Amino acid sequence: MIRHLPALLFLIPFSVAVSLPLVGVRHRQWCRPLALGAVAAMSALAGLNLIAVLTYGASRYAFGGWAAPIGIEWLNDELAAIIVLTLSLLTLTSLVFAGGTAPRTLGGRVVPFYTLILLQNSALAGVVFAADVFNVFVFLEVAALAGYALVGVSGGRALVSAFRYLILGSLGASLYLLGVGYLYAATGTLSMADLGGRVPEMLASPAIVGGLTFIFLGLAIKMAIMPMHGWLPDAYTHAPEAVSPFLASSVTKVAMIVWIRIMFWVVGPNASIEHIPVITFLDELGAITAVAGALLALTQREIKRMFAYGGISHMGLVLMAVSLGNPTAFAGGVFYLINDAVMQAALFFLAGTAIHQYGARTLDDLGGLRSPAWLTGALILVAMSMVGIPPTGGFFGKWNIILGAIEAGNYFAVGAVILSTLLTLGYFVKLFERLFTGPEPESAPSHATPLSLRVSIASVSAAIILLGVCSDPIVRVLLESALPDGM
Amino acid sequence: MIQAHDSLIVLILGRGLIPVTQLFGLYVLFSGQQGPGGGFVGGVILATSMLLSLLIFGTDASQSRLAHRALHGDGVGLLLFVFVGGLCLIGGGEVLNYAALEIPGLDVAARRYLGIVLTQIGVALDVAVTGVSIVFSLSASNGDSHA
Repeated sequence: MIRHLPALLFLIPFSVAVSLPLVGVRHRQWCRPLALGAVAAMSALAGLNLIAVLTYGASRYAFGGWAAPIGIEWLNDELAAIIVLTLSLLTLTSLVFAGGTAPRTLGGRVVPFYTLILLQNSALAGVVFAADVFNVFVFLEVAALAGYALVGVSGGRALVSAFRYLILGSLGASLYLLGVGYLYAATGTLSMADLGGRVPEMLASPAIVGGLTFIFLGLAIKMAIMPMHGWLPDAYTHAPEAVSPFLASSVTKVAMIVWIRIMFWVVGPNASIEHIPVITFLDELGAITAVAGALLALTQREIKRMFAYGGISHMGLVLMAVSLGNPTAFAGGVFYLINDAVMQAALFFLAGTAIHQYGARTLDDLGGLRSPAWLTGALILVAMSMVGIPPTGGFFGKWNIILGAIEAGNYFAVGAVILSTLLTLGYFVKLFERLFTGPEPESAPSHATPLSLRVSIASVSAAIILLGVCSDPIVRVLLESALPDGM
Repeated sequence: MIQAHDSLIVLILGRGLIPVTQLFGLYVLFSGQQGPGGGFVGGVILATSMLLSLLIFGTDASQSRLAHRALHGDGVGLLLFVFVGGLCLIGGGEVLNYAALEIPGLDVAARRYLGIVLTQIGVALDVAVTGVSIVFSLSASNGDSHA
């Protein structure tokens, strides 16, 4: 059964997702336990899958028993297993969190909410596992369509953001597909393994150059790399509180994983890409995104929007790190990506709690949050990780990125990490200044914090510490087994 | 909300055309094994037959009952697809490896045939339901939205 784990990881959330609308017609209260059960089972299997991959090595899964060039194949390697485990655990936490806020923010849209979240979760697992560039597109589109609907699930002002996300996201998907078409025309194959054998020798061909550029531009919209980030802040700010943590911790990260696959499994780590426009200065682009994202976060007044820009800044750091092209920076980048997923979930949990419990949407309303010590404590912990202070995971991620940048002799990148760190510190100082000195509201919150909010915030806080404490084994696993061939 | 068409010619023609369309949809669905066709195309044609009844007789007419019923079948097709795929998994093969459908009395060729037909029916159901539900949501937002 071990070899079927990738398929099960997709099928369990997917089958529950498509049966929820049928169940939800009569028994709406069953949706939440079913969704939670499905994602809990998925998380347990993802853990098992990671153990299996670390024990027996990477494997390929051929759907229908048809092997790669004819059939559809999934690659279940260390990188995919780690990312899917992160993804499913964060989805589980987001679902727990959603239980506390969903009744108020979603109203009667509970059934579509759980259906879409499960659908997106299974599609994202498909993106991570898919071993050919066309199936990546299919799953990216399923995930993105579910994402557009999730942003607009409660209606109102979020619909405008959802529509903007839809237009830009579709543009990204179209560019990606156009690039895939170019690669297919030039090489005659869609499988990443076959492409990896042919593309490196054909890098001078205009079709390959055009294809790779289009693929990067399409994925850059999904990753929200500056200046293609326009959809993200609005979508995450206006999405319901139950939705934003899930979206923030998954969508851009998975697009980054796809780019890592294309960059290192198709093009190859040692390919000469100096003549390819855009892709030759990815580390600079990442550095600009890291600094500019943090700078924009500094200027925001809305809490969720500030955190959204913080996430953009971190994606820039990850892109810069993996583009440096040495093992230390690559492992640091992937480790930072995992950290960023956890931190984004934590930040939007906290922002969601602030809105749900205290009605605090902007920095000026933050005064009321200082009385519950656990909330302030969690916020400080996440801030430490965002800035990069040990013993949190964020520190070790940035540390490895800086080490990799020094190894690559790229002092521009070192400067970008430090500058973005200082700017991140800047916007958290601004946030805490309002938190500790802002006026307290006249009336205390009328209702106690639901247990589900506390549980979800506590588990991501624990995860941040755990990632910091266990950073050494995780980075070692990434260095030993998750590196692309030839790096 | 779509009203019934007021032309007698359209009403009479529709009455004759809809069953033929449905039959043709089923033919395309099941002949997909040996010739051009299959679940997606068959589903589109089945959806077309239901849309014809919606456009000709209106959304409230008794002829459009099937389309209303179809709306409740949201996801049934995908479930059928996943169910057949999962059965192959239980039979010891990969997902969608129909040779692993353990049905006594059937050889491998028959199993593959049955597996493909069932998944194609699933695809057709889902495509048909999606087509109908798009028309329902578009026609609802015209007049009687924001109650």
